[in-house]
Amino acid sequence: MSDLLLNWLINIPGFAAPFAIAALGLIITERAGVLNLAAEGFMLAGALAGVGLMIHGAPPLVALGGSVLAGMAMGLIFAIMAASFRINHVIAGLALVFFAEALTSYIASAERWTNKAISGLEPVFLGQDVIVYATPVLCALTVWMLNRTRFGLTIRAVGENPGAADAAGIDVTAIRFAAILIGAALIGLAGGYLTVAVSRIWVDSVVGGRGWIAIALVIFARWHPWRALLGAILFGCIEALIPRIAAAGFDVPRYFLQMTPYLATLAVMIWAAARGRDRWSQPAALGQHHIREERG
Amino acid sequence: MTSASPAAPAAKTRLRLVPLLEPRQSVAEGLRIGIYVGSLLLAVLVSVLLLAGAGVPPGDLGREIMTTAFSSPRALGSVLAQTAPLVVAGLATAIAFRANFWNIGLEGQMILGAIFASYVAIHDIGPESARLLLMAVAAALGGMIWVAGPGLLKIRLGVNEVITTLLLNYVAFNLLLHLLYGPWKDPVSAFPHTEQYEAFEKLPQLGWQNLTWALPLSGLLALALWWAYSFSRLGYLVDLMRSNATMARAVGVPVLGLSVASILGSGAVGGLTGFAIAAGIEGRMTQDFFVGYLFSGVLIAFLGRNHPLGVVVVAFFMAVLMLLGQSLQVFFGVPSALVQLIQAVFIICVAASEFFLTYRMHWRSAA
Repeated sequence: MSDLLLNWLINIPGFAAPFAIAALGLIITERAGVLNLAAEGFMLAGALAGVGLMIHGAPPLVALGGSVLAGMAMGLIFAIMAASFRINHVIAGLALVFFAEALTSYIASAERWTNKAISGLEPVFLGQDVIVYATPVLCALTVWMLNRTRFGLTIRAVGENPGAADAAGIDVTAIRFAAILIGAALIGLAGGYLTVAVSRIWVDSVVGGRGWIAIALVIFARWHPWRALLGAILFGCIEALIPRIAAAGFDVPRYFLQMTPYLATLAVMIWAAARGRDRWSQPAALGQHHIREERG
Repeated sequence: MTSASPAAPAAKTRLRLVPLLEPRQSVAEGLRIGIYVGSLLLAVLVSVLLLAGAGVPPGDLGREIMTTAFSSPRALGSVLAQTAPLVVAGLATAIAFRANFWNIGLEGQMILGAIFASYVAIHDIGPESARLLLMAVAAALGGMIWVAGPGLLKIRLGVNEVITTLLLNYVAFNLLLHLLYGPWKDPVSAFPHTEQYEAFEKLPQLGWQNLTWALPLSGLLALALWWAYSFSRLGYLVDLMRSNATMARAVGVPVLGLSVASILGSGAVGGLTGFAIAAGIEGRMTQDFFVGYLFSGVLIAFLGRNHPLGVVVVAFFMAVLMLLGQSLQVFFGVPSALVQLIQAVFIICVAASEFFLTYRMHWRSAA
């Protein structure tokens, strides 16, 4: 039993890290007032790029660098749609997820990357790899950036009141563009981690809705990085537990176990919404376009 | 470093052009159609390039489309058979979108619909003559139950329905796998699908090619909705609510009732989509009967402008595209994901075109 417990504990960080990193990316984007429903697409791009580079012999950290770039490439498309062309953020996000699903599935089957096992990112200390240790650092950097740098404060100003930010001389579209790209880089990294460090294989369903879970997590954390990290650890606990319940001989139907992350996400969303009226930490201009000529 | 940026650099006197966006007050019908058609042409161009990249010469494409869709009554029959469930899927999505409810849970609602219908079929509920009707009612009920949760959460607590409906797809899929690998596994072949429905549990044949009653029934549903949206008070109120819910509420429109009706209606038609495939095409519930319909439903509703007749037209072309994808896969070895990629290109192009409908651009020089 204690073996099982230890085995569970040691696996939690690996499951929690991608949720946490994706949530950080989402927080940066959404703090600029861009409703980001495209996370699943960024993660897919990062996950596939990681696998592809590993198959072509790149070391794991280089492959993860490729995941960052792939996430940013998708982010660029999303930014053009959502920030430049001012498409409804919901439509832009959904279109991007569909596009990324199709593109990754297409590339994977054309290049025959599907179901090919890769060697992965190795643990460096206490059974954890370098990205796990980098996660709290990234979280601290995000908090510092959003609260202590001019750039971070500018992002928040744009997310709270783009009209006022514009009047103060801030280029709203450029800031939103930048926030989307930075967020997409992090979310792409999270996706790359899923394949390079966790599954070590590509199948079309490898991301499996984790992008959507990360979005829910951000709502649950009220756009606050440290709370998102806590939420990610909670989901890491659930995900790490699933394979161990069957291994321990408990007779729970397999497919019901696989529902638990999604049900837990729904529960967390309901709890966050029911908790009350203090919705203040949602960026006030989330999902709203800013047209200078439309003011007043 | 957290230092404030240094004093602004000396202003350059370089001349540059800055776009000014002027919101349009109204759009002429001709311009609206022109921009829409232009965006479709752009999407077609990109798609042809994508196909060329995948090894399908553009020259062969036209001939390939003719052979798959229009060369023989049999080909046309296959296209129309595929059109029926796509029409229903598009209508399910359009009903919700039209009421500003982003129902992204079509696949979950289809699965629940098929599960409910299969329950009626497997347990032989009701007399044989009424079995099919009972299955359809059960399917609609299943879809409604699956959308009711997200609808309630949206209305009562303001929970984002995109995420809740989407997450429930994964839950429904695991429920489907549980049933098909467990209690409902085919007792004859032990494959993970339900046993064949009885003859009276399948939609009857029309007598032309392999078409079933799914096609005229889906057409009737589209006509009924067209009437409701275009000629009844109900449709007028829904559109009023969509454009400004606060104002609609203030002038006494029953916004809550209309929202609930639209959300549940969308779920019911979503359940019927599952029924149309299980009882109309496959004759049983399989483990992947729903794949791709969420995406197609969103695309059809979006390109059809949430208009019931627009949905029918787009669904027909989508059916051609899906069958074309299948034949290209066989003859040119094109991966099946290319169809979805083309669909995504269409969504992106048409969505981007709305920018030109909403704003007029001026280029002004700025110092």
